[in-house]
Amino acid sequence: MSAADELRVVLAGATSGVDAGRLARRYGCGSLLRAGPGTLQRMGALPALIDGLRLAREADVAAYRGGLLDRGIECATVSEPAYPERLRVLHDPPLALFWSGARPDAVDPPAPAAAIVGARKASDAGLLLAQRLAGAVAEAGGVVVSGLALGIDAAAHRGALAAGGVTVAVLGCGVDVVYPRSNRAVFEQIREAGLLVSEYPPGTRPATWRFPARNRLIAALADATVVVEARARSGALITADHALDLGRDVLAVPGTPGVASAAGTNGLLKSGAGLIENADDLCGWLGLDRPADPPPLPPGDERLLLEALREAPALPDELVERLQLPPARAAAGLTRLELAGRIARDEQGRWRTG
Amino acid sequence: MIATATSFWITGIDARRIDVEAHVESGTAPAFAVVGLADRAVQEARQRVRSGIKSASYRFPPERVTVNLAPARERKQGSGFDLAIALAILAASGQVESAAVGRVGAAAELGLDGRLRPIQGTIAIAEAAGRQGLEGLLVAPENAVEAGLAEAVPVLPAYDLYEAVQILAGQADPTPVPAAGSEPPPAGPDLRDVCGQPAARRALEIAAAGHHNLLMVGPPGSGKTMLARRLPGIMPPPSLPELLEITRIQSVAGTLNGHGRAYARPFRAPHHSASQAALVGGSSLRPGEATMAHRGVLFLDELPEFNRAALEALRLPMQDGEVLISRAAGSVRLPARSLVVAAMNPCPCGHHGDPRRECVCTEQRLASYRSRISGPLADRFDLRVAVPRSEAHGAPGETSEAVAARVLAAHELLATSPADLEPAAERLLADACDRLLLSMRARRRMQSVAATVAALDGRPAVGEDDVAEALAYRVEPR
Repeated sequence: MSAADELRVVLAGATSGVDAGRLARRYGCGSLLRAGPGTLQRMGALPALIDGLRLAREADVAAYRGGLLDRGIECATVSEPAYPERLRVLHDPPLALFWSGARPDAVDPPAPAAAIVGARKASDAGLLLAQRLAGAVAEAGGVVVSGLALGIDAAAHRGALAAGGVTVAVLGCGVDVVYPRSNRAVFEQIREAGLLVSEYPPGTRPATWRFPARNRLIAALADATVVVEARARSGALITADHALDLGRDVLAVPGTPGVASAAGTNGLLKSGAGLIENADDLCGWLGLDRPADPPPLPPGDERLLLEALREAPALPDELVERLQLPPARAAAGLTRLELAGRIARDEQGRWRTG
Repeated sequence: MIATATSFWITGIDARRIDVEAHVESGTAPAFAVVGLADRAVQEARQRVRSGIKSASYRFPPERVTVNLAPARERKQGSGFDLAIALAILAASGQVESAAVGRVGAAAELGLDGRLRPIQGTIAIAEAAGRQGLEGLLVAPENAVEAGLAEAVPVLPAYDLYEAVQILAGQADPTPVPAAGSEPPPAGPDLRDVCGQPAARRALEIAAAGHHNLLMVGPPGSGKTMLARRLPGIMPPPSLPELLEITRIQSVAGTLNGHGRAYARPFRAPHHSASQAALVGGSSLRPGEATMAHRGVLFLDELPEFNRAALEALRLPMQDGEVLISRAAGSVRLPARSLVVAAMNPCPCGHHGDPRRECVCTEQRLASYRSRISGPLADRFDLRVAVPRSEAHGAPGETSEAVAARVLAAHELLATSPADLEPAAERLLADACDRLLLSMRARRRMQSVAATVAALDGRPAVGEDDVAEALAYRVEPR
């Protein structure tokens, strides 16, 4: 199989909006490109793909690659050595992978990689935990893989970036397409400090069927997949299924029984997934150094506040009442703890320890 | 014969002089015309003036009467010219001495029975009459107290057109102007009624002391409106010039109720369906809510539900303390130095992040709700606090009186001494800006809130704790 032919088939798939991967694996890229329309139809190709293949037959692949390079995008097909080893274990590896960003090495890192995925609409606690888990993995030198969706995915990327670590975002569209748009800031940061990857050529618009497909790449690029928060039929569970198929660890964060937003993760735990409560747990699964314990605080408002928050997340008002502190002193103490990275606040104003 | 009377019209919150000229052409067929860009209410003055003159037992000239409102290029509106038109006609038809009419100003509406009715903006009109060097200002009795507050011109209250003419002819003495009522203002709602909410109460106190705009984020029923309503009661009491400004605006807007003068800071709470013109002013150069709340509190409940353009138009008054309205009819600058207090729910259904009730908003709705508050607008709120649903049913809180005393002391301290940052405070602020990725504008905001916090504690220098507390009031309306 020649790399040029593979890239041509990928481009044909992209222009026709049809997944050409299955046919390519069965018949080979060369024969797909050489076959006439009648043969292709008998092979089961849709009319759009037949047109796309006809157009792609003469495509100048070298010039195409040159054009991509000028825009900071690289690619490798499955028969090329630059293709990530981690993807080859898939039973349906993508024909080609496109990437853009500062850390091309992040798809095949020597260090352990964790996929952190979950619901788009997540609770504040879930977002905060995703951020903390990602931060701990990144700080210990691991790689954080996720799908750059809203909610847990974005929180995981943010956590890794904030810890100055490496993160890989697997997109369901071209690596030059920001989707969802509200993630533009994270998108740019990942390009500067991590890696954006996609099996779809640059310019590909997001389509619903592409998102479940990219989940297999997320699972394959990581040594373990953590599901932070998921409903019963969440896309994050697809990622967990792929991880299971690949023989990778599947981990889940437990939620309150009976709450819809925890049904997915609790289901995973029931069927034997590893239980993740905090960053220590995750680092243990990945064989990374556990984050060092921060030094104990000297006695004072801050220590009182931290101890109260260890028991349960609380609003400033609740702390004021419980500890009988003046509101001004409570506010000042909480800010100090926040600056020291000991606590974080969700958007309801509730403080919690990490 | 031609005669001229003087009246005034209101644009923005200022009065401008109008010369009302009347021309009675003897030997022509009866007719009555008003020219000079007069609006409908002024055109209708013809009927009121004709009946008024007859009811006051004067003669309406049975000839061609032309009334001109000069300067003719400006579009005039309202019913405040009635009295001047009647006097000009009476003078032009020789029923009252022209010179006497020319010496005074007249600002009142006429009833069909000839009595004078009150109009809006009498304070501004009295000030303008004083500037024009007039010898007196004829007003309806109801407007007398208000006009007298300006202390610019002798006020001549008259019950009806007949009495007005008698006063001009020197045959009757004007009724003495009653002194402005001095009964104490009815006390507003008290902070004592707010149970719990220590953090929000503290934010309210800081807002009042340092004049910081305040944004409260919390679920429905957590008491955001209740808190906001108690803010005017703890702000430093208005000075006399401030009270006069407030009265003047309320006089123009017609919201001055009964007393003839304002006693307290205004509290305005426009509904979120308010248009841009209603919020910042605009329609016919009338003051909007931002001006009506001048020196008081402008409360915007359900902030994201407001019309986007209307909110953006509020940015300028929030920053400069005034609004500039430009319309075809001209442009005016209006004062709008109000303390803006806004409230919003954490999400459209109101239960996002609530541990006991599940939020039913979709991601898209949530995102679009939050995107309605633009960054530059959010930046103008120095204090942003979360107001959780209150669990406390405990003891009532401190009274407004106690809080107001601390606020006043802090306010005076802030006015006299510039706040210096102690080195430790400076370090903490710089460190926080690095870690929390705060912008320069946010940094200035934090610094000024910290100065207020220090002042509330009676210290002119800003310490580390003050900065730490200030940093706590920055919940993002994400």
